[in-house]
Amino acid sequence: MTAAIELIGITKRFPGVIANDDVNLTVEKGEIHAICGENGAGKSTLMKILYGMQPADEGRMLVNGEEVNFSTPNDAIDRGIGMVHQHFMLADQLTVLENIILGAEPTNGGVIKFKEAEAHLAKVAADYGLTIDPNDMIESLEVGERQRVEIIKVLYRGAEILILDEPTAVLVPQEVEALFDNMRELKAAGSTIIFIDHKLDEVLEISDSITVLRHGKTVASMPNEGVTAHDLAELMVGSELPTPETSESTVTSTVALDVREVTVADEDGRNVVENINFQIHKGEILGIAGVEGNGQSELIDAIIGTADIRQGAMSLLGTDISNMSVRKRRELGIAYVPEDRHVEGLMLDAPLWENAALGHQTQSPYGSRWLINRDGARTQTELIKEEFDVRTPNIDVSAHALSGGNQQKLIIGRELTSNPSLLIAAHPTRGIDVGAQAAVWEQIRTARANGLATLLISADLDELIGLSDTIVVMLRGRLVARLAPEDVTPRDLGAYMTGAATQNSDEAA
Amino acid sequence: MSMEKWNNIPAWIRWPIYALLGILLLTIVQGVSDVDRLTKVSTSREMLRWAVPIFLAGLGGLFSERAGVVNIGLEGMLILGMWFGAWGSINYGPWIGLLIGIGGGAIGGLLHAVATVTFNVDHIISGVAINILAPAITRYLSDEVWGSPTTSPATSTPDVYDLPILGGGTVAGWESPDLLLEVTNLELPFISDVAGLLRGLVTNLHFVSLLAILLVPFTSWLIWRTRFGLRLRISGENPSAGEAQGINIIFYKYAGVIISGGLAGLGGAFISTELSGLFQGGNSAGRGFIGLAALIFGNWRPGGVLVGALLFGYVFGLDLKDLDGTASHALLLVNTVVLGAVAIWAATKNRVADTVLAAILAVGAFVWWLSADAVPGWWSNILPYVLVLLVLVFFAQRLRMPKALGQPYAKGGR
Repeated sequence: MTAAIELIGITKRFPGVIANDDVNLTVEKGEIHAICGENGAGKSTLMKILYGMQPADEGRMLVNGEEVNFSTPNDAIDRGIGMVHQHFMLADQLTVLENIILGAEPTNGGVIKFKEAEAHLAKVAADYGLTIDPNDMIESLEVGERQRVEIIKVLYRGAEILILDEPTAVLVPQEVEALFDNMRELKAAGSTIIFIDHKLDEVLEISDSITVLRHGKTVASMPNEGVTAHDLAELMVGSELPTPETSESTVTSTVALDVREVTVADEDGRNVVENINFQIHKGEILGIAGVEGNGQSELIDAIIGTADIRQGAMSLLGTDISNMSVRKRRELGIAYVPEDRHVEGLMLDAPLWENAALGHQTQSPYGSRWLINRDGARTQTELIKEEFDVRTPNIDVSAHALSGGNQQKLIIGRELTSNPSLLIAAHPTRGIDVGAQAAVWEQIRTARANGLATLLISADLDELIGLSDTIVVMLRGRLVARLAPEDVTPRDLGAYMTGAATQNSDEAA
Repeated sequence: MSMEKWNNIPAWIRWPIYALLGILLLTIVQGVSDVDRLTKVSTSREMLRWAVPIFLAGLGGLFSERAGVVNIGLEGMLILGMWFGAWGSINYGPWIGLLIGIGGGAIGGLLHAVATVTFNVDHIISGVAINILAPAITRYLSDEVWGSPTTSPATSTPDVYDLPILGGGTVAGWESPDLLLEVTNLELPFISDVAGLLRGLVTNLHFVSLLAILLVPFTSWLIWRTRFGLRLRISGENPSAGEAQGINIIFYKYAGVIISGGLAGLGGAFISTELSGLFQGGNSAGRGFIGLAALIFGNWRPGGVLVGALLFGYVFGLDLKDLDGTASHALLLVNTVVLGAVAIWAATKNRVADTVLAAILAVGAFVWWLSADAVPGWWSNILPYVLVLLVLVFFAQRLRMPKALGQPYAKGGR
């Protein structure tokens, strides 16, 4: 049987880097083929080449046994290849139908035949067992539904080979299961799926075959039989496997952050955080689990001071911070690793040393009340670069030149070298590779051992369970459960997060 | 009737009902303040004449901004249309003149597109540059062509006509009845006021005015029902998503901005050939900017732009024949009632700050109305902008600008 996709000796060079070095990939018809590897291993580049977004410098591509040469995505689409991007390519203020037909509109003299489009969409959706209302606005859809729109968009164009670029990165466990059900339906209907992921348990659950890339090279390609997550991780990293386990407890009896009956309202006056109580001691990591949008972001905003609290009080090491400005709170020792490093964490176009000073610009060694101390800031940035292993040619390159993992290491370094008393870490390892992940975990663990109090929010439940000393679950703005990480599984957490399981509220408080 | 039910009624039924309520309000205000100009046929005729260029500029803005390009250069494009329209009509007659006016504005649009789309110049900077360039270029050209930097010889324009039956127009030699005139002459309260205002919209009608009104349904159809419209919108909402589907975003951005210039140019040609009868520097009177205001007021929708343009046109049109300032003074009472209604509406939504602000403004307008018999001339000049500010303050949550508006776009970039 001819393979659906065969890539032979693909090589792609960017200035100073070889992104793909003689990569080979064979994907059989009707299989789910996982491609894993650390960030920067060349997965995305390989897929962009396959999808016609970038040309390869060397190598051959065969689709269904025929040699092809793509110069635009349209060429790939014509050959039945469709790609679902990690960042959704949808317009919020257009309807589902408009988003789906875009670029492939059935028309009569330029007038869109909406009836016909809707009928075709209904047929595609029925064939693959996917449901969606064509007239909903994208902005009204959940993340999982948006992803389904992306998948249908590709199927609408007749794609038989689907590339899914890290589809689970944005989903909660229950949505991931729905996605996997959809993928199985697609496979049953005859589609071939190439699936990029670096969550290994997911790869093992859904794929038929697995190809591992490391440093732009194919290091293994095998059927999914008898393979363990441990094997895969070692292939990806090429060394010992990191785990997020914290060793012995370092929790002390000194309360660092004390949050008392805090309530936060949104713009419409609804309480999005309601009557929350917790304490974090020095040397303790408190993990907050919860489906995104259940008040975690607003709680963080309240603690760092970018949102006002409606009721309650907060204190840090005995000092009341409830009404302090953000600047005062930062100077008092609150460190913050934001959820989206591109939005809140970095100035992408500014050099690294300016980014390192961000948030500490009024403090030594970065500066004083009015002035920036360039030499001090640069020296300190060099220190961060060394100590936190930020891989960059120098500290004058702009932040967007760094990979996600190195950007994150810079942020962690910036926050931890300022000697904070409280660290708020929101999704500290989101979207970074296994190597950088291990480094971030290690830094947080070290800081914990030195007496840092940490508030950890993460969608990666293994990370949450592995790092935290205590886990609380947040649902609809309230803390609904308080759990010991030793005796909880991701599945249990998922049940609390969605409200399927409940705990006596006295215990949670 | 609940708010949701009301919003489910199609816009083309809702807006005439708003208009009738508005006229009812004008009639009542007219009753208490002893002016008759608020609902006269000449007022609505002037309203339309003022509104047409504002609307065309605003509609131009719609094409540009739906494609994601902020077009503050509408004023400049309108001025180019004024000059080229005048030049064309003097040399080639009224019809060709209009076409050349469109072309002149489109050149301004092309310039804006080259700067913003190809060279990624900041949209505001490019627009301002065009606004500075256009008066200078037309002044230079006037001097070269007509020997005077500020004025042209008289221009020519297509004849105006009256619509048959409604406005007493002539069809194939048959002089139809003038229904609205008859109703106006009955002097019935309210009904005759409506007829009078309507009659101004169907008599002495210029070809461009008729075209402008027809452009509302046409543009709606083009934007929401055609492939061109969908692709234009994706260029302003999420160009990367469009590009990923193989759409040539650059083409649609260029198309949107050039059409934008053409429409503003037609508005300019209408000013120099119909309104003033010659090209004269400064005759644009900021209508390009007001068009932009109408675009925001109208929430980037064709019908909304027309409503905005008519509203602004009404204020200016009323002021034009209101030498003593009494009619504009009566408008203060209208403001009082409308702001009072906004205050009540905001109160039902529990929006305290909005309620207080609207109530203060309502009281302020009422006190002003009580304490004076006339308002100064500058008041009607700033009223459109005041209106836009008020709309932004009270209804900003309901406004939906294209999501990628003003953002630089580079092919293959993020």
